[in-house]
Amino acid sequence: MTSFTTYRPDPDLDLLLERVVDVPRGLVWRAWTTPEHIKKWFTPAPWKTAACEIDLRPGGIFSTVMQSPEGQSFPNVGCYLDIVENERLIWTNALMPGYRPRQSPEARSDNAFAFTAVISLEPQGGSTKYTALVMHADTATRKKHEDLGFHNGWSTALDQLVAVAKTM
Amino acid sequence: MPNQPSPLDQVFQSLADPTRRAVLQRLSQGPAAVSELARPFKMALPSFSQHLDVLENSGLVKSRKLGRVRTYTIAPRPLKTAESWLEKQRGQWESRLNQLDNYLMELKENETDD
Repeated sequence: MTSFTTYRPDPDLDLLLERVVDVPRGLVWRAWTTPEHIKKWFTPAPWKTAACEIDLRPGGIFSTVMQSPEGQSFPNVGCYLDIVENERLIWTNALMPGYRPRQSPEARSDNAFAFTAVISLEPQGGSTKYTALVMHADTATRKKHEDLGFHNGWSTALDQLVAVAKTM
Repeated sequence: MPNQPSPLDQVFQSLADPTRRAVLQRLSQGPAAVSELARPFKMALPSFSQHLDVLENSGLVKSRKLGRVRTYTIAPRPLKTAESWLEKQRGQWESRLNQLDNYLMELKENETDD
């Protein structure tokens, strides 16, 4: 077995965030892996996490239900890929629990884009450094532009813009 | 991403001139060198270059100099939306982690209280 080094951030597609918090590593780990904790912080305000289910093993479910301020619910379901207690947590929403590939976009009711998140934790004195790497297959809008035929779309938009400007 | 001051103002100012609109229409067909762009206009080159500068500052076109030839292309503005999509994702993860860090500090205080 070789060590796990297969992920490499792509600056055009991925996000890499790094934080140092003045708390022990075990606490950070629990905050990422316990439903009661996840519900308190996971969803950016003013949205809320209405529900969370965790089966902390490879292929196990990680799901959250996000709730809009108007009370509308949006479920997010995925599964864990790798779990090393206090060190590394990897999950994706591209695979459903049990590693079943998720439905194609046409068959799904949501339009959530696929991502894989890699959370790494390491102690730094009494504090903890953690990084979140969020990998995307594509950026949603970039793909759409390619589908539409980027150059064509731009020429048409420009023609319209010029036409408008001429009437000003 | 650097925030340019009122980019929309610059775009419209840029478009408010017939010479610059003609240059844009030419460039929408493909890249062109300065000499080719200037040919249809009876204008001194320095004045024409000023028009090109206005277009470039507004972000509508980009230029590259290769040897002695400067070539202009339409700037792929629509690609900016792809960048802002990723920036939006970043914003969400930033606020998520901000909430986590605040929550962790709360937890730590509560544990010390116990």
